[in-house]
Amino acid sequence: MTMDRRSVLGLGGILTVGAVLAPGLRLVAAPENAAEGTTEASEKRRWGMLINTQQCNPACTACTQACRAENNVPIVGDPQRDIHWIRKVDLHDRSGRNPDRSLPVLCNHCEHPPCVHVCPTQASFVRKDGIVLVDMHRCIGCRYCMIACPYKARSLVYAKPSEHGSVNPNVPIRAKGVVEKCTFCVHRVDQGGEPACVEACRKDGGGGMLFGDLNDPKSEISVRIREVRTSTIRPDLGLKPAVHYQGIGEG
Amino acid sequence: MLSEFSTIEGRSPGYWMLIGISALVLAIGMGAFLAIEIHGHGITGMNNQVVWGMPHVFAITLLVMASGALNLGSMSTVFATIQFKQFTRFSAFLAIVLLIGGLTVLLLDLGRPDRMLLPMLYMNFRSMFTWNVFLYSGFLILCVLYLWSMFEYKQYTKVVGSTAFAWRVILTTGTGSIFGVIHARDVFYSAITGPMFVAVSLTSGTALSTLLLVSTYRRTGRVMDEKLVFGLRNASIFFTLLVGYIFVVEKFTKFYSPAFYDVEWWLLTGPWSGLYWFGVWGCCVIFPLAILFNSRMGNTVSGVMAAAGITVVGAFAFVAHVLLAGQSYPFDMFPGYQTSSVFLDGQDAVYTPALIEFALGFGGIALSAILFLLGIKFFRLLPAKAVAPKDWDLPWSP
Repeated sequence: MTMDRRSVLGLGGILTVGAVLAPGLRLVAAPENAAEGTTEASEKRRWGMLINTQQCNPACTACTQACRAENNVPIVGDPQRDIHWIRKVDLHDRSGRNPDRSLPVLCNHCEHPPCVHVCPTQASFVRKDGIVLVDMHRCIGCRYCMIACPYKARSLVYAKPSEHGSVNPNVPIRAKGVVEKCTFCVHRVDQGGEPACVEACRKDGGGGMLFGDLNDPKSEISVRIREVRTSTIRPDLGLKPAVHYQGIGEG
Repeated sequence: MLSEFSTIEGRSPGYWMLIGISALVLAIGMGAFLAIEIHGHGITGMNNQVVWGMPHVFAITLLVMASGALNLGSMSTVFATIQFKQFTRFSAFLAIVLLIGGLTVLLLDLGRPDRMLLPMLYMNFRSMFTWNVFLYSGFLILCVLYLWSMFEYKQYTKVVGSTAFAWRVILTTGTGSIFGVIHARDVFYSAITGPMFVAVSLTSGTALSTLLLVSTYRRTGRVMDEKLVFGLRNASIFFTLLVGYIFVVEKFTKFYSPAFYDVEWWLLTGPWSGLYWFGVWGCCVIFPLAILFNSRMGNTVSGVMAAAGITVVGAFAFVAHVLLAGQSYPFDMFPGYQTSSVFLDGQDAVYTPALIEFALGFGGIALSAILFLLGIKFFRLLPAKAVAPKDWDLPWSP
């Protein structure tokens, strides 16, 4: 069988249209996101964190160490590529009006998370209780979420995780090529616990981290946020972060 | 003039050498992809501060030029610039091959390229990436239909060509908006980032078309009326002035706000200032205009070719500057405070591209080149003799 060039062009056009439309047709029949249906999260709750920077010792790394151990976050030995779900940031006021501070920075689990907005596959999503998570089986590693996040809260897995070993069997190891971040220790929260960093801060640190339900007006975190002056990082972006800080910019 | 479309012979040693070189570069690019797939992005120069590196620069530049490659077709079909009607097939085909090259690099640079079809299954219509999936695939369909109509159903050429023109403007605005909508990044965030990409697509697409047209006609021993090249020169001058205008407006607007003093001053004098002044301003605007406005160089085909080559380099520099400088500027999470951490907060990000990233990027260019070379051999994309209409004359020369 021979085909003239016009036929080849025509066939090419039809194939291109088919290739583009076929996945869309598949989409129509695609099932709903099963993960949403099976979660125990309730929209009545909105998990959040309050960090009192006045109780944070610059030399203390209890929260970051606990996070690494709990969530199997490896140190690859390259500062440019190390993965940080939570990190200590040192602040020095340029005007000298406020004291130097050291505080942990983690995913802020925003109400309007830009990482979720830009994710092309809905791999990044917000649970009903406000926790922002990444579906590691759906992440394509495009890194657009890392571009969009103003808190530098996300890291790409640059190397094979097996090279770094694992500690906690309750938290799955992430494959190379996907983006990972703080989950507020969702596996502990769903069991009625609190994030490992908060627990470690209370036991081994200054006790400046508080975790709780922002929707419950009687919760300790809600009471504290009402009673003391707190702030969030980059409130001008309108993201409504769930992580609040006490003791920054009071001068 | 329009009835003499023909294929090139494509039997010369030079032709096969070009095919061979392109195939070799493509093979190296595929090797680079496989290496990244096996070992992860750890073997590239990218890191957790600069997450989009040279492959993205190559991919996005190719996509911007794909949109611009349709210029000649749009000039004829939409704006009735009849002297370029003979290049409409070439224009649509070039857009297709550049799009394929750019998208290939973009997809192969994913952290998980094995999941590249997932964006088609799980769509997030708030994501600019999702919009771009539709915009790129729609553009591909429109270019194929445009080409098909020119071959077989000429009565549809006007409507398909006009739709493709509107689509390409939206498409390139969408490409620019991948960056422009990101509020967190001071360098990216601007309503004018999208139009800026459109303007650069106009210059770089016209420039690449000029280079390929003149080269193809010269290498195949065919005739191309110099007046046509100078017509392209005049279009390039207009487009380049437009790029310069948008660059000035963008800088003026940002410098007007004290909130942007730090980032703008950093862009003009910081670690990426060389790329900004030489690559963006120099290669995108100043050097091409200096050549094209020059009464001696601007009136020679070689001069126009040189300006076109610089403009293409400028497009790469522009995209590289937006991407790399945009990611290198540190987040100002705590205004008024100096910050430091083990995650390099408060520091300019450092990025040194690895050779393997260039291999992947050039692989995309090679793929486009092979498709183009095969296209002009097997499809009647170009007139055997490109002549200017008798009643048409250049309105202006330097």
